[in-house]
Amino acid sequence: MSHDDVYDSAPWTAHYAAAHREPDAGLVKANSLPDMLTQAGQQYADHIAFTTCMPNGMSGRLSYAEVEEMSDAFAVYLREGLKLEPGARVAVQMPNCLTLPVVAFGILKAGCVLVNVNPLYTRPEMEHQFNDSGAEVLVIVNLFADKLEDILPRTPIRKVVLTHVAQWFPPVVKGVLHLVLKYWNRAIPRHSMEATGIDAALAEGRRLRDNGNIRVQDYWQGLTRDDTAVLQYTGGTTGVSKGSVLTHGNLLANLEQVDTLAGRHISPGQECILTALPMYHIFAFTVNLLAFYYSGAHNVLVPSPRPIQNCQRAFDNFPISWISGVNTLYNALLNEEWFTVYPPRHMKVALAGGTALHKAVAERWQRLVGCPISEGYGLTETSPVVCFNLIGDERPDSIGIPAPNTQVRLVDDEGATVPLGEPGEMIVKGPQVMQGYWNRPGDTEQSLKDGWFYTGDVAVMESDGHFRIVDRKKDMVLVSGFNVYPNEVEDCIARIPQVQESAVIGVPDEQSGEAVKAFVVLREEGITAEDIIRHCRNELAAYKVPKQVEFRDDLPKTPVGKVLRKELREPAPKTDA
Amino acid sequence: MLSPLEETLLAVMMIVIMFGMGSSLTFKDFRLSLRHPQAVLVGFCSQYLLMPLIAFSLARFLGLSGPQTVGLVLIGCMPGGTTSNIFAYFSKSLLSLSIIMTVCSTLAAIVMVPLLMGVYTAGVEDALRIPPSEIIALLFVLLIPTLLGMWIRRKNANFGAVTELVGGVIGVIVILFLVLTWAPRNWQLLVETHWQVFAAVILVGLIGFLFGYLFSRVLKLGPQKARTVSLETGIQNGPLAALIVTLAFTGELQQQVLLMPVLYSLFIVINSTIVTLFYRKWTRREELARDQAKIEPTG
Repeated sequence: MSHDDVYDSAPWTAHYAAAHREPDAGLVKANSLPDMLTQAGQQYADHIAFTTCMPNGMSGRLSYAEVEEMSDAFAVYLREGLKLEPGARVAVQMPNCLTLPVVAFGILKAGCVLVNVNPLYTRPEMEHQFNDSGAEVLVIVNLFADKLEDILPRTPIRKVVLTHVAQWFPPVVKGVLHLVLKYWNRAIPRHSMEATGIDAALAEGRRLRDNGNIRVQDYWQGLTRDDTAVLQYTGGTTGVSKGSVLTHGNLLANLEQVDTLAGRHISPGQECILTALPMYHIFAFTVNLLAFYYSGAHNVLVPSPRPIQNCQRAFDNFPISWISGVNTLYNALLNEEWFTVYPPRHMKVALAGGTALHKAVAERWQRLVGCPISEGYGLTETSPVVCFNLIGDERPDSIGIPAPNTQVRLVDDEGATVPLGEPGEMIVKGPQVMQGYWNRPGDTEQSLKDGWFYTGDVAVMESDGHFRIVDRKKDMVLVSGFNVYPNEVEDCIARIPQVQESAVIGVPDEQSGEAVKAFVVLREEGITAEDIIRHCRNELAAYKVPKQVEFRDDLPKTPVGKVLRKELREPAPKTDA
Repeated sequence: MLSPLEETLLAVMMIVIMFGMGSSLTFKDFRLSLRHPQAVLVGFCSQYLLMPLIAFSLARFLGLSGPQTVGLVLIGCMPGGTTSNIFAYFSKSLLSLSIIMTVCSTLAAIVMVPLLMGVYTAGVEDALRIPPSEIIALLFVLLIPTLLGMWIRRKNANFGAVTELVGGVIGVIVILFLVLTWAPRNWQLLVETHWQVFAAVILVGLIGFLFGYLFSRVLKLGPQKARTVSLETGIQNGPLAALIVTLAFTGELQQQVLLMPVLYSLFIVINSTIVTLFYRKWTRREELARDQAKIEPTG
């Protein structure tokens, strides 16, 4: 029997009224991202757009007008100086800094495709992504020039543009920071690559623009919502890294969806958002960079939020009203005296995603800061937002309701919808769903069927349309025919006070096919594997109890703090870290 | 000792350094330090109860002569030196707390130093009093530049942060200068001095660090605060001690007593540098551990 109606009746739509906005596909009046960016740039011209705040409080900033002018110049440099065709891939590899928005916007304005690259990638990972995306140009922060130099000859990159994490800081400040980074931290490696500095690239762009009477909007005016904007790589928690093809329409639709449900809480031109999450990641890219640029917000960028102390001066010096983060970030903030004694006074909303938000963290935050942490759910392939909690009506342990114009179903292995209240794989159809994986028709076919994107996450729906994530489908352990969801076992182990965190996987077992194995990181000594197994036996059904327990000093994680269970299953060969 | 020009230069440098130190601070940092005023109290006790006792016991244990004992106990009774603030800064301890403690102990020195010297060196010398003008001058060097630095940081974070770095670099240069120029010029003195005297001036600082830390931990201060108190306890105002000796004694006796603060001032810089490097690593490790610690469910 089909249960399609349970989901297709979309019981969650009743909650949209609470947002006081009608779902509207045309909310952002723009045909492409450059169209939206240019509008915002003109509307908020004299507002501060971005500030990079270093751990010691040094900062540099750009206004909306400056970002507009500089990204225009970079677009001209790409198209006229480097003779790139529309649709050419340009890779950007840097931590949060002023260069990132300028070049990202410039690439989009040039009609090229932006490829976001994780700056912490190892050489083989970089090589794979540059080759897979076919990037012709790379803008990279000088901190990683040595890694690039080794692999550059084996990639299609024909032009390297170098920037500095303190780019466009006041000259003296930049000079001092450069000396500190180079001679004290020894973080700036030597290299002998042929590369152009970002300032020289912009100067060249300006010269070409003035000499050739070039109008930058001619590059992007023909773009439609169906054109590709970004190749966003994913695969940290699954197999080989793949590029999700996201169009201008995908990203604009996601902005509209965010704006419909959260827009009431955003005062245009007046917000100040802290961006501690890396913007090469889809969460901060769409939400912090694009959505808050559209809203005229002041975006405070923190290049490296670890240790979390690095964020202190940003909180001291700027009236932060929004923040996006993951559980580990909020957890870390709540462990700092400077934060808990003087919580930010202007904070309105904190957004969480990436991994499950712990209830204890959410509660402590609400009590201390006086604003909620609103948890959402999304994936790289969905630009990213699929579901989120309505601000002011957050539910613990819930990812909230689907975004407007998004269809969600829960299905079994055969693709048939499951009854209400039962766990099933979440599949999503909506304007934010990617076009497919770049040059991988096989993978695309597997995960995009009939317009539905198969998320690989198992979820449960409540009768009023709120969803709860149970676990990754791939991580499910099959013990004697019973499904064990690792999250449940991990939660159970986490309740032991001496345990800091744990990860649970399935291992082959002669008797039961698979058995549960737990990797445990302790915060203090004095507990044995037997103690952990005994604790689980008291709280869980017998088949869910770990058969093996292994103690570790730490767990492999993605940049946003997701545990890489994959690497625990098969220890990855050591690459250059 | 130093020539008058060098002393003036040093005083100016000190002002620049404190200006830089102040630039690393916000008013919030001070309010955070004062949230647990017991730390200041613990520091006070460890400085004025532990240190004189340590100095006195050491002198006895090593069998120092009368004038040397007076010199060593005088060091034990001194308030915290401004160099403690520099080392607090470099060791990533609580600079604001260190400054508060230095100010408090310096103010209290007017009463505490003669009192303690009376107890430990009964009747040796009545003239061991601190000229109030010295205290005022010291506070001037300490407080005004700090406040100015903080104010500038508030007005312009970038200017503040650059000043902080410049102040820090000058701090290192001054420390290096003191160490590198002092030893060659006083070579003769170093060669002629008995090992007991070296042991005394080196150990008084090291034991001060150790006891200051343990004392604070026993009284339930957090590790970072305990490290701050530890530095504050071990690092005494050596130059002030030297000044008092030159005011209170004359002739051969003066030279004998003076040996102690002079040698102490030399070795404390080396001791503190080593301890600072150690504390700095420790702080970093704690920062990373806090990052990882989990929030407990409450209520």
